Amino acid sequence: MKTLLQASLILGLATGPAAAADLTVLTAGDQNMVDYINDYLGPLFEKENPGTTVRVVGTGPGDAGSQKIVERFDAQAKANVEKWDADVAVVHEKFAGPMVKEGYLESYRAKIPSGKMVTSEKAKMALGSNVDGYVMPMFSSQTAIAYNPALIPTPPRSYEELSTWVKVNPKQFGYNGIKGGASGVSFVMGWIYAFGEGDANKLMKGPFEEAETKKWDKAFASLKDFTTDATLTPGNAGTLDMLSRGEISMGPVWVDMFYSWQADGKLPPEMKLFLPAPGMPGQPMHYVIPAKSPNTELAEKFVALATSPKVQAEGIVKRFNWYPGIDAKFVQPELDKASWDKLFVDISPEDLATKAKPFPIAPYNSAILEAYEKNVAN
Amino acid sequence: MRKNLLAILLVLPALVMIVLFFIVPLIASILGAFEVGDAWGLGNFRKSFELYSGDMIFTVVIVTVSTALIGIFSIAIGGYLTLGENPRAVAILRWLYRWPMFIPFIVVGQILRTFLAKNGLMNNIFVSLGVLTPLQTVGFLDWRGIVIAFVWKQTPFVTLLVAGAMASLDRSTIEAARNLGASRLRILIEIVLPQISGTLLVGLILSFVTMMSVLSVPLMINAQSPTMLTADIAFRINAHGDYGVANALGMISLILTTGVALIYLRQTMKERS
Repeated sequence: MKTLLQASLILGLATGPAAAADLTVLTAGDQNMVDYINDYLGPLFEKENPGTTVRVVGTGPGDAGSQKIVERFDAQAKANVEKWDADVAVVHEKFAGPMVKEGYLESYRAKIPSGKMVTSEKAKMALGSNVDGYVMPMFSSQTAIAYNPALIPTPPRSYEELSTWVKVNPKQFGYNGIKGGASGVSFVMGWIYAFGEGDANKLMKGPFEEAETKKWDKAFASLKDFTTDATLTPGNAGTLDMLSRGEISMGPVWVDMFYSWQADGKLPPEMKLFLPAPGMPGQPMHYVIPAKSPNTELAEKFVALATSPKVQAEGIVKRFNWYPGIDAKFVQPELDKASWDKLFVDISPEDLATKAKPFPIAPYNSAILEAYEKNVAN
Repeated sequence: MRKNLLAILLVLPALVMIVLFFIVPLIASILGAFEVGDAWGLGNFRKSFELYSGDMIFTVVIVTVSTALIGIFSIAIGGYLTLGENPRAVAILRWLYRWPMFIPFIVVGQILRTFLAKNGLMNNIFVSLGVLTPLQTVGFLDWRGIVIAFVWKQTPFVTLLVAGAMASLDRSTIEAARNLGASRLRILIEIVLPQISGTLLVGLILSFVTMMSVLSVPLMINAQSPTMLTADIAFRINAHGDYGVANALGMISLILTTGVALIYLRQTMKERS
């Protein structure tokens, strides 16, 4: 009985509220996001700030992960909680706008030194909503098409060529639909950019007009056709999995996941990437600090460290193969040439400049997803 | 009066639990299904049918096919346990058949995902045995995978009920039929089955309802469209934060299961009376 009592007491203490020097970081995204903070950033921050502990909570991949963070903030705001249970959150672009609008976030970019090093438009406008000052991009991520050059020596270079290629090579192209992670979503968005009869620029920059959503019927009809000749995979990792087992020979993937899998030996080293014309979307993940964070100053320090050129070079580019969140020209001097080049072997900086697109603004984004379900999936 | 009060007090904890954790959320979710913005309406249902009518049919077909297969397999296993003549085979089967019951659905999904993939364990075995060539292999990670997972997981449960009922039958009816020269198959179908049909029905209905609510198996095995309603409900909430349509979809699957639940209620009423 006594041991039971002690055990429950210890358990109670361990799961009790965080001590003052605990920094809680919520992060959406795949397991690699949690690993990044657990294995690299957290220990680094703890070393620089003795006595603090970084606790990281992963909320899951895709939009679902960010949605959980929003709901957590919603609940605490509605309950009028004085101090929230998170100090820093890492969220997808789509969710930064709504959080700013609800007044959940602190405007902190001007307060930290790396704030000036951010030049990307995506740090000012997140899918059509103004988030200037409230977010710091952790990294930029890009989707591209991975392929096996042993099976396809000359891959199709555009969506147009791809759509005829699958007719000749049925079931060789795999993507994960829209319910299994954002690489499939990104492929679908790229399809609408390529074949939608409206103006792709309007989808990316706004404003939202109902009439624009009526111009996709043909694009979805051809996508439905395309999908019957393609293989549907069970998720971002599922596409890579099937590529590595040779069950498909081509498919859309996140560039960083692709390189990490290759580095871990989970994907053959011969595999290559390309960005099809007219382009595919990518997105940043943003660091945000809740306005009611219990350790605001510590949180700012954490984000400042995370977005410093050194960490962006060592952690973001070298270890995790992401494109840096702050302007690349501040990062390049911190990196050896080999690591810098590795990121640009398959996809050249010019490709990135011309074919790396943003996702559509939020209302178009939702409309496209829904139209996909209506026209392609059902 | 005093006695009444005591009775109410005794029932109260259970009643509070049911009202608080079951009835209230259920009503909230039903109301939520009719909430469109700030008004009431059928918008969520219209959208559900517009986007997911294919998935509704898919769900019903998958679950019905699985239920039928479960019925056939559980009768076969139960029948052999009752009528089998090789005591060793019966003992082994009795020991083996229950195992899947103790494995959670998510684990079933995970096991089968690697087992049934195009280059998965099953096909690799066939290829190494020379039965198939690598080009002939087919992956089963579609509707067939879901059916296989459901049948594999739920058959033991129904078999347990069916075999129990068969064991408690009056064996003299079986012996009489055997004396008159009936084959074992004929005894199973004409003598045993009619006597345990009530138990079989209850087992199948419980399986049907369980399978309707499984999310992990379709998520793990069949990422394709069409998929099951549970996956759509999760997607509506996770990607769109759209509880309205999710509630409507929930209510639609509730209506689908209500039909079989009614049969269950009638059956238990009949047994009581």
